[in-house]
Amino acid sequence: MTPELSPLARALRREIEARPQQFHELADAHRDAAWPDFLRAWGELRRAGILGRDEDGNYRIEVRQ
Amino acid sequence: MKKSFRDFLADLDAAGELQHFGGEVDLRDVPGLCAQSAKASFFENLKDYPGWRLAGALITSKKRLALAMGCKENEVAWRFEEGMGRLIEPVMVERAPCQEVVRIGDEVDLAALPYPLMHLFDGGPYISATFVVSKDPEFGRNCGSYRLMYRSPDETGIDLVSPSDMRLYYQRRLDQGKPLEIAVAIGCHPYEMLAASYKAPTDLDEYWVAGGLHGQPVPLVKCKTVDLEVPADAELVLEGELLPIGWTEDEGPFGEFSQISGDVKWNPVFRVKCVTHRRDPIFYLLQMPWENDWLAAPVTEAAGLKALRNASVQPVAIRAPVGSCGYWTLIASIRKRPGEGKNALLALLSIAEVKLAIVTDDDIDIENPDDLDWAITFRVQADRDLIVVQGARGKHIDPSIKAWELGKGGLPTTAKLGIDATIPEGVPKKLYRRIKVYGADRVTPEDYR
Repeated sequence: MTPELSPLARALRREIEARPQQFHELADAHRDAAWPDFLRAWGELRRAGILGRDEDGNYRIEVRQ
Repeated sequence: MKKSFRDFLADLDAAGELQHFGGEVDLRDVPGLCAQSAKASFFENLKDYPGWRLAGALITSKKRLALAMGCKENEVAWRFEEGMGRLIEPVMVERAPCQEVVRIGDEVDLAALPYPLMHLFDGGPYISATFVVSKDPEFGRNCGSYRLMYRSPDETGIDLVSPSDMRLYYQRRLDQGKPLEIAVAIGCHPYEMLAASYKAPTDLDEYWVAGGLHGQPVPLVKCKTVDLEVPADAELVLEGELLPIGWTEDEGPFGEFSQISGDVKWNPVFRVKCVTHRRDPIFYLLQMPWENDWLAAPVTEAAGLKALRNASVQPVAIRAPVGSCGYWTLIASIRKRPGEGKNALLALLSIAEVKLAIVTDDDIDIENPDDLDWAITFRVQADRDLIVVQGARGKHIDPSIKAWELGKGGLPTTAKLGIDATIPEGVPKKLYRRIKVYGADRVTPEDYR
């Protein structure tokens, strides 16, 4: 079962779902968050197993079966 | 006692080569500040990282490389070779600064360590200044340097694509369905980093190499949760295991040592079980590609010296330019006897990585690009002084090889070029007599002020 995401992780998920993005685009969009908090939210997406990549290195949401 | 990372920082400071940032700095601004500083950078107050300091871009010039090695700039290859000639066994110690603070299991939080996003297209923040230790029951202990990409508070990606001893160790464990224990020391003296980048034979322990470079044994301490030993004076240590999942998880891109943004790769995952560090730790941000390339240069140069001597050629100076990443090009001046320009080229091109070799006489200052251009202009005839070797082993990372045409698992080949810029046999040396200014040795501008 996927654990519940924090508000910041949910926001990151929404932004990636809207458009595949580079890591730096997501980091720039959340300069208001403390860097450790941003990384922990990123870790939530990793642990949820929903992050995929395209050939340009963009992150995309990819729910694995 | 051998020198530590902190001793090197003190040496940089004493030489006026360390810029201090005393005010509060957002970690996300650190790479940009490091890149714009003419000196090495030291951040004393990191926002959101109480207790941590950060040193970055330490070896981004030959001057600072020479400072790390305690020698003159034109002596680094010889200094490295000298250290390699006196391998020194490490010693074990019971207590270590790197274990003043211990965080195990649920206390592990990699997001609490200060490493920023370093380059625009990186797949995430990276730990770049790693000294990675692993063991194999048959081949023994190995130390290398492998980049780590943040994934979650207890996991990183690790680039294990290229052939290496640790890749071999991992494959052997993977074949048994078991993880490979590793320990990652961060904040080690440049000699440890040089030893880690040296491609030692599989049965040679790089700790002995580091000891040789220091001229004193490296003190080691046993890790808390894995059967490995790390440098006792390191700033920070990550202990854990490479999961037995093979090359299945995305990692990268990362600003590579080739000075090119790489691709997404498929790699294993490092799960961290324990973090230990000093009470007042200093994080080391190794600035790619420059620090990596400067640290690669002495290793390539020492290989060049060895190859020349094996070919009975007498080297006078040698240089692996940072423009070739300290890796692909070797330029040497030699005390030449007839035919040895070509012998020297063949020797240098025999080094696996070297793609371009240039050999000159010992009257040429190979550190001076203008002097080198002059030698190539007037001592080279293209129809007799170039050597091209086709079909030698290449590296995927070189775009000119077109490795993508080979398909998955294909091994690329490369052409190699040698340029003999020594005075050709049969051409009188007096034809190369350089202009000298009349009277320059007996008068100075001060005499007429």
